[in-house]
Amino acid sequence: MMYDAVIIGGGPAGMSAATILGDKVKTLIIDENDRLGGQLVKQTHKFFGDHEHYASMRGFEIADKLLKEIQKKPVLISLSSTVIGIYPQNTVAYVKDGQIQKVQYKKLLLATGAMERQLPFVNSDLPGVYGAGAIQTLMNQYGIFPGKRFLIVGSGNIGLILAYQLAQSGVEVKMILEALDKVGGYEVHANKVKRLGIPILTGHTIVRAIGDEKVEGAVIARVDKNNIVKGTEREVVVDTICVAVGLTPLIELAEQSGAKVSYIPELGGYVPLRDERMRTTNKDVFVAGDLSSIEEATTAMMEGKIAAMQMVEDLTGENLEDKIYDDLNSLAIFRSGPKSAKIRTGLEKMGINVPKIDLPKPQRFERYDDSKLHAVIECTEEIPCNSCEYACKFDAIKVGININSVPSFDPAKCTGCALCVTSCPGLAIFMKRSEDKAATLGIPYEFLPLPKMDDKMWGLDREGNYVCDVKVKRVVKNPNKTNIVYVELPSEFADMVRHVKYPSKESPYVCRCEEVTLDEIEKVIDLGVTDFEELKRLTRVTMGPCNGKNCKMVVLGILSKKTGIPISSLSHGTSRPPTKPIEFRAFLKEGEE
Amino acid sequence: MRDSYEVVIIGGGIIGSAIGFNLLKMGVKDICVIEKSYVSSGSTGRCAGGIRQQWSSPMNVRLAMRSVELFKNFEKDVGMDIEYKQGGYLLLAYTPEEEEDFVKNVEMQRSQGLDVEILSKSQIKSKFGFMNLEGVRIGSWCQSDGHANPQIANIAYSMAIKRMGGDFITHTKVESIDIANKKIVGVQTDRGYIRTNTVVNAAGFESSKIGKMVNVDIPVYGERHQILVTEPVNHFLDPLVINFNHNYYIRQTKHGSLLMGQGDANPMPGEDLGNSIEFLEEMSQKMVRDFPLLRNVHIVRQWSGAYDMSPDAQPIIDESKDLSKFIYATGFSGHGFMLAPAVGESVAEMIVHGKTITMDISNLRMDRFKNHIEIEKNVV
Ligand SMILES: Cc1cc2nc3c(=O)[nH]c(=O)nc-3n(C[C@H](O)[C@H](O)[C@H](O)COP(=O)(O)OP(=O)(O)OC[C@H]3O[C@@H](n4cnc5c(N)ncnc54)[C@H](O)[C@@H]3O)c2cc1C
Ligand SMILES: Cc1cc2nc3c(=O)[nH]c(=O)nc-3n(C[C@H](O)[C@H](O)[C@H](O)COP(=O)(O)OP(=O)(O)OC[C@H]3O[C@@H](n4cnc5c(N)ncnc54)[C@H](O)[C@@H]3O)c2cc1C
Repeated sequence: MMYDAVIIGGGPAGMSAATILGDKVKTLIIDENDRLGGQLVKQTHKFFGDHEHYASMRGFEIADKLLKEIQKKPVLISLSSTVIGIYPQNTVAYVKDGQIQKVQYKKLLLATGAMERQLPFVNSDLPGVYGAGAIQTLMNQYGIFPGKRFLIVGSGNIGLILAYQLAQSGVEVKMILEALDKVGGYEVHANKVKRLGIPILTGHTIVRAIGDEKVEGAVIARVDKNNIVKGTEREVVVDTICVAVGLTPLIELAEQSGAKVSYIPELGGYVPLRDERMRTTNKDVFVAGDLSSIEEATTAMMEGKIAAMQMVEDLTGENLEDKIYDDLNSLAIFRSGPKSAKIRTGLEKMGINVPKIDLPKPQRFERYDDSKLHAVIECTEEIPCNSCEYACKFDAIKVGININSVPSFDPAKCTGCALCVTSCPGLAIFMKRSEDKAATLGIPYEFLPLPKMDDKMWGLDREGNYVCDVKVKRVVKNPNKTNIVYVELPSEFADMVRHVKYPSKESPYVCRCEEVTLDEIEKVIDLGVTDFEELKRLTRVTMGPCNGKNCKMVVLGILSKKTGIPISSLSHGTSRPPTKPIEFRAFLKEGEE
Repeated sequence: MRDSYEVVIIGGGIIGSAIGFNLLKMGVKDICVIEKSYVSSGSTGRCAGGIRQQWSSPMNVRLAMRSVELFKNFEKDVGMDIEYKQGGYLLLAYTPEEEEDFVKNVEMQRSQGLDVEILSKSQIKSKFGFMNLEGVRIGSWCQSDGHANPQIANIAYSMAIKRMGGDFITHTKVESIDIANKKIVGVQTDRGYIRTNTVVNAAGFESSKIGKMVNVDIPVYGERHQILVTEPVNHFLDPLVINFNHNYYIRQTKHGSLLMGQGDANPMPGEDLGNSIEFLEEMSQKMVRDFPLLRNVHIVRQWSGAYDMSPDAQPIIDESKDLSKFIYATGFSGHGFMLAPAVGESVAEMIVHGKTITMDISNLRMDRFKNHIEIEKNVV
């Protein structure tokens, strides 16, 4: 059978291409899974990106939406079909129902996506070590949990999102390790997991898995320029290790089709060489999506469309230049932010120039009038997303032409409707009203069960540490499942609390650095220790690497509550240098390095 | 706080607290400790917690050995785990003179019954392979030396005192001492007057100020010493290591962090307890050289405290000749924590029996300064 266009891979790239090719030419789309969607079907979180490309919808919902569009068109879909090779005479061979099928194409689009990278460590073959994708598939598609206590290696968006989803399902995520000295994924994603109390240890890696027949723990250690720092090894007790250290493009079919590949680490490893319009070195073969560079669903969809339009031009001679130009332009803007620097470098190596655009600084507005309910936007990293701007019907939030810009927020225009809170994929927007003593805080909440009016909960800070008790005042349910829980709390803690949680049997951590719980602190106070300094020396609270930055206020709050002495009359200790932990080697004279 | 006590102890550091505890143990119930700030706010709160017996005079060795006996029973006697560990002390000699001193001291210390020995360089190497021993000649090693957490010890004493019926009054400052007919009659604090006939001056580096209140000259002054602590790392260092030549000490706490300090080249006299960046620079250079595995370890905090210096770097423990029942235990010169249990016992005996019973500490009397001053050299 001969097709004008054959698409291999039914993820967002392949599906978007099908929506365009479908009307115009005879099209076949092939995917090995039993449904279209690729990576999207596993994603239960809200996506970032351009509002026009389904930002703030959940991954599987985007797949459904694309599918509906495809179904309107005469596209042939071959599911559960694994392509095993591209052969001469433009032949694609695939297995379906145990049978080999052959088709021919005039133009081929490869959108096979990527596969997960492996990480070598001792015992990485033990049962209990999984890739992120495998865990997502088990959990989000089949509702199966491979373990109860997870260690996640890798803090890219995938590792962060997985940690969040695991926590949503009620299993414990011990920690996330990141070998580099900063978190790989978006800050807002990192913040989402941190406030659940999941620590992200940067500059750390896994040394080996522990266990005889299955994982019973792991040895982790600090790393410095790929070397494990001796003496920093320690054991953590986990039953599942999840490796999320990135993806690498699946290039086999591209190579077989005659497209040249080249090693460009910034794009994910070996990638097919291609031009701006996704054409490979074989004029009849196009690529799109993660196969062409490990990026995002949004870029995959744009690339799929651009490739498809060029294929239509090739096949029919129809002029789609204006539309292609528009999409190329949005893609360039999408990639113009700081988080896309790597992609830009990679594309340049291929001869594709993507301009870096300096983004305008967000506009600053007057101090908030705290006595009325207003949004608090904690989105400070330049990432390609503008869902808040679209959500706001009152013009209070502006991202502007470049989707990478940080939102500007004008509190005077904010009506307190909280639509932005539910739309933000990073859960980085909160509602706040603060009066003399008590404050109201609205917190995006994606956990079950939903809190009920008047329930007492724990207010947790940005690191997931206990701050104070809060009382639930109102719960706003939302069809997109990002609900808002409004709580009442003492106003001095309104800028500290960023998550709420039902009290658990175990006492909450107040100081995570030193693992000191509320219970321990209260016990020592009950022994008659009412001085912050003595309390600190006995419990080590505030004595960790953060020097109490995170928990000092909380400890003072507890002390004040139990002794009746107002916080202002308590001594709060000394702020000692260094304010951030610093390695000895930083002080070594040059030449000794 | 009541308006009268049999004994008033000024200073709620480790020394004052140990004295109070021992008095109660000996049956003197009517006592109070007065502390102007919180428990362990003075030198004790800044202290590294080293406990050593390797001193250069026989009486000091014996006093330190007595302290170690008491530290061994601390948890049982005082009622709190203070992270006491007999991980040893390793002293390193780099010069022929140091070597000669070490050999002489070890001989004397052994004659006092201390389990101390000279280690050759290769013996040190095999015990502590992680150290860079370039230039080391020999070491002096005592396994029963060790360390503990001074802040917890201080608080432990204070809680025991309250439990046993004494008073421990914090955030109260002694402002003057009332004398009538050459006798003490009371103490004026910023929170009231207390009648008493017996005052113990355990005010640490500020004990000279207390002395001034009654015209007793106490030649003790503060001298800033800096110290730093690292993040916790896996346990690798049992002993406290002292290096006089490179001028530092280091120990690992139970928590895993490393505490280390030095004597600054020009120690600042007085009470300014600020921090210097030079301290971090100097420490980093030498500590990474001698302990290469520290290179990538993070420094978490630095602070400083006052050594309670006396003219010969040895404690002054005595009752005033001019004012009866004015007793002082001070001038510990950077080693008051390790001596506290034994000093607490001796001073309590002085109050109860008029003289020390368990130990002879006559070498620590004030009148030694009339003769020539023999400075204790083994101090960092
Ligand atoms: C956990 C996670 C979270 C993410 N979050 C976001 C987000 O918030 N926002 C965002 O924009 N992006 C996100 N992404 C990235 C996004 O999912 C991918 O960039 C996108 O799916 C890539 O699309 P694609 O079409 O290139 O490839 P895929 O979605 O990987 O689709 C490729 C398809 O090809 C099929 N295939 C491969 N080889 C063959 C073969 N030989 N025969 C038949 N079929 C084959 C595969 O089975 C698959 O179905 C996330 C990814 C992950 C893993
Ligand atoms: C950096 C550093 C490291 C050290 N390392 C060691 C070590 O490893 N081993 C060791 O044995 N020793 C060490 N020391 C020395 C040790 O800390 C001291 O010798 C010891 O703590 C002295 O105890 P103290 O009770 O006499 O003094 P302090 O702890 O200073 O107590 C005196 C108390 O008196 C109070 N006070 C003063 N004036 C008044 C007043 N007018 N009214 C009421 N209260 C008053 C003060 O507030 C203070 O709390 C170190 C010291 C420092 C600074």
